[in-house]
Amino acid sequence: MRAIWHIFRLILADQRAALLRGAALSLAVLVAGVALLGLSGWFVTAAAAAGLAGLGAIFDVFRPAAMVRFLALGRTAARYGERLFTHDATLHALTSIRIRLLEATAAAPHEVLARLRGPQALNRLMADVDALDGVPLRLVLPLAAGLTAQFAAFAMLWWLVDPRVALWIATGFLAASAVILTRSARQAARASRNEEASAQAFRSGVIDLIRARADLAVYGRLARQGESVLAIDRARQRDRASIDRIERRAGLWLSLTGTVVAAGALTLGMQLAQSGTLSPALAAIGFFASLALMETVAPLRRAMAEMGRMHVAARRVGGTLAVRQDTIAGSDGAPAADLRIENLRFRRGQAVRPVLDGVSLDVGKGESVALTGPSGSGKSTLLLLAARLLTPDDGRLLLGGKPLGAWDETALRAAVMLVPQRSALMAGTVADALRLADPDADDATLWRALDAVALEGVITAKGGLGLALGPGGSGLSGGEARRLVLARGLLRRPNLLLLDEPTEGLDADTALKVLRGVRAFLPTAAILTASHRKTETLWADRVVALDRRPARACAPAGN
Amino acid sequence: MSLKELVAGAGTGIRRASWVSALASLIWPLQAGVVALAIASLVTGEPGPGALLAGASFALLGAARAILNHRAEAMLFDAATHVVTTAREDIVRREMRTTRAASAAATASLATEKLDMLVPYITRYAPARARVMTVPFAILALAFWQSWAVGLVLLVTGPLIPVFMALVGIAAKDASRRQLADVGSLNDLLMERLSALVDIRLLDAGPSVIAGFADRADGLRAKTMNVLRIAFLSSTVLELFAAIGVAMVAVYVGFALLGALGFGSWGTQLSPAAGLFLLLLAPDYYQPLRDLSAAWHDKASALAVAGELAAARAETPAPLLGRGGDAAPLPGEAVITLKGVTVDPGNHPIRYPDITIRSGESVALMGPSGAGKTTLLRLIAGLCSPEAGEITVAGHRLDDTTADAWRARLGWMPQAPHFLNASLARNITFGQDGDLERALRSAAVDTVVDALPAGLQTRLGETGGGLSGGEARRITLARAIFAGPDILLADEPTADLDAATAEAVMAGLDAFSRRGGTLLIATHDPVLAARMQRTVEISPARQAARAMIGSDA
Repeated sequence: MRAIWHIFRLILADQRAALLRGAALSLAVLVAGVALLGLSGWFVTAAAAAGLAGLGAIFDVFRPAAMVRFLALGRTAARYGERLFTHDATLHALTSIRIRLLEATAAAPHEVLARLRGPQALNRLMADVDALDGVPLRLVLPLAAGLTAQFAAFAMLWWLVDPRVALWIATGFLAASAVILTRSARQAARASRNEEASAQAFRSGVIDLIRARADLAVYGRLARQGESVLAIDRARQRDRASIDRIERRAGLWLSLTGTVVAAGALTLGMQLAQSGTLSPALAAIGFFASLALMETVAPLRRAMAEMGRMHVAARRVGGTLAVRQDTIAGSDGAPAADLRIENLRFRRGQAVRPVLDGVSLDVGKGESVALTGPSGSGKSTLLLLAARLLTPDDGRLLLGGKPLGAWDETALRAAVMLVPQRSALMAGTVADALRLADPDADDATLWRALDAVALEGVITAKGGLGLALGPGGSGLSGGEARRLVLARGLLRRPNLLLLDEPTEGLDADTALKVLRGVRAFLPTAAILTASHRKTETLWADRVVALDRRPARACAPAGN
Repeated sequence: MSLKELVAGAGTGIRRASWVSALASLIWPLQAGVVALAIASLVTGEPGPGALLAGASFALLGAARAILNHRAEAMLFDAATHVVTTAREDIVRREMRTTRAASAAATASLATEKLDMLVPYITRYAPARARVMTVPFAILALAFWQSWAVGLVLLVTGPLIPVFMALVGIAAKDASRRQLADVGSLNDLLMERLSALVDIRLLDAGPSVIAGFADRADGLRAKTMNVLRIAFLSSTVLELFAAIGVAMVAVYVGFALLGALGFGSWGTQLSPAAGLFLLLLAPDYYQPLRDLSAAWHDKASALAVAGELAAARAETPAPLLGRGGDAAPLPGEAVITLKGVTVDPGNHPIRYPDITIRSGESVALMGPSGAGKTTLLRLIAGLCSPEAGEITVAGHRLDDTTADAWRARLGWMPQAPHFLNASLARNITFGQDGDLERALRSAAVDTVVDALPAGLQTRLGETGGGLSGGEARRITLARAIFAGPDILLADEPTADLDAATAEAVMAGLDAFSRRGGTLLIATHDPVLAARMQRTVEISPARQAARAMIGSDA
């Protein structure tokens, strides 16, 4: 409940004025509805009485009739306005929540980002946020407006009709619906949570089934995976059925409440009229008003059933937003190129074995150093540490003589560029892809960067900078895509360039051309590569070997 | 498959429930009658139902109405569940039978939230339509019975609603199609951004990427608002029509009761009871029409979903041989023969040479990219079937009846593994018992696991995020060894590996071969090929491929 309230406060803070206007209008809708029915009932009954008494000619038809028209049209207009205001405000607020969520997701630690599963993260940003629209639209606003309308109707009925009728209607509605709604919300909570979890499990189960189909089939697990996915769906349907049953039952009890309250108001009114306390026309008001007051509780039925789903979404969204983003306040000058690593130690999480254990090395301005070592020796991890995507457990990383952690994010990113093994390209043109690194670069600069990675010819042949790439950069071969990512990295003009197996998948000639092009493009940068190809180690000024087990300080090797 | 066919399986249930719902609506005139007689008796002083009797019968009738509605809702929900689960099971079962490369995210989204969009169509649109067919006519008849003038008002104003609704429906359909398309493309865009978050941080492009997303999200908000605006406007106009109709009835009833209007009620003056009765009935004459128009977009989305389902079903699946289930290993010596096998994976047909691979042999399949090496491994694993020709394994024809048993003897190293959303241990064992430690050591991957944050319990990214490419490859080797196969099919097991890692993988493969395992490897790597006893050259398209026998090592 607190999570839902927190989200509502976020939405309210974003769109206070529009939401308040919407709330006022939704109150107006309910009040006008009650007034309209009450007045119509009174009017027709009074007209009948006047007609029978032969007073038809002097009965004031026009004022009540005008009032009826005003209320009918006013209610219609107010409903239109209320819907527009509240939906527009809610959609605005949810859009800003979505954007803040993406910011928070983007600020997560590298370990989280590397293992991020697209469907889950997407679900949080889209489906969870969508589920929150019920918080203002179907829960808080109708609840507030409904309660206020009940109190207003109570006061009016007390004043116009009779305290007994007013008390019967108000207590009948409020007590019964409070019990019905809280009970159904409580009952539905667990089923909604389970249902949401099964929906997620089903989705990722289907994705796994399709993406890993060949592997599953060969190991005789395809049929089982399929059956388990279907079993998850059956469990989900059971939860859905119980949520629906709870909602339906709440609906049944609410209708029964409305019927009994109206029937009681009818009986009470008739008895008061028969005893002469009230005129028949006034007696009719209570009955008609209670018919209209049904509108204050009926819409809440859905909110109660949705509450579990909203709660899950609110907790997840609130949790992601609450993660403190540690903006590193540090020096904002331009770090110089030279990188010094002293006695670096790093272990992943609770891992049994450290990845790096006491590594030291230096890379000077204008120098190219190749890190070698078998897979698993920590080459890539060292690059991630040097790019400050990971934080070492022990040891020192100095950039331009200052600890890496002391630089402010923008300054650091301007000075250090890492081109990892797996890089993602996004749909868009080649120019879009490159300008992600430098939005102000002109075409000539882009071509120079493409030329440096021996991609100029390929891109020209395929249609130039305007060449549209598909999702994930499709339209280029694997090797071409890697070189485009490398060119993008060059456009940052970093002082320290970190390359993870930069020429993987290229033939030796092209590889050498690319490496020379990189150096020519950034003549003074310090370049550190993780390499296992001869081409790269021969090209480098110096080779540093990380050996597998206790990775120790490494003496310079090669020339 | 049309929407009609899609819901046909639950047709009886839906029809029955719709009629129950219509029946419930028809109780209202009875309640209205009770109230009208009771209040009129107060005015006229004529004997009517007493206060208690009126209240009790109103409550009882209301309870009956609530219970019938409740029943109808339950029946409709069951019908909707039946339709949706049937369609969902159909999708999943198709995906289990085929090897067609589908977009996993799109299929998952069709099977999850899109199919769920059929539910409101069944639970709201169908009963609203049944009520439109009955309730207004019943009320119209009752109105004419009491007063032809009121009947006339209803008769004239009623049909305006469906006409207007159709006009709005056309505009709404367009707007909601644009909005749905935008939701889809925003999802795709976001998915890409999410998978590129590391790059975005490295490029310090966060703010501009987020600003771009904010623009798109705001555009979607505007489009959604457009759809809503049309929906709100149309329901407002309908409400207005209904309000005008009710007001006209009220004005007539009011004046008639006052004695100012002498016509319209079959010669006699309108009685107070009839007046109240008509006034209570009038709003319910319009209500079913308003319900139907509110459910109009449910039908539009259901039609869109049915269209997508039909398109998915129209694709001809490439069937998997067997079920991909557990089976006892196929008996017989591990001999594989191909005779006259051809396939057509789309762009060009491939003709394979006739090949015999003897038990215990190690064979490299070589040839340029696109020559069909991977497809050959898939054929031998029964993951797809040839257009023509015959594959014999362990002395049996490879077909639906033998494929599962044959695969129970296979190990498999794919080029690009997909990791299930489960622990690393589960990704290797697939829930089977066995010696996991030994498999990890044989694939030289135990040290890799030791360096993972949660060891074997680590959950990896979908394509092995958290591991390097070489490490992910060796995990697939560990998985193959764990399964204890006597035939191992490996697709480019050493591509993208550094020399030391490639050596470790090759040593693992050699060890398998030495233990008497049959090894079939698709590779570009001459070093690896040289370590095999034999090389089979697969040549590209059309040009008949020929088998090249290398040295028997």
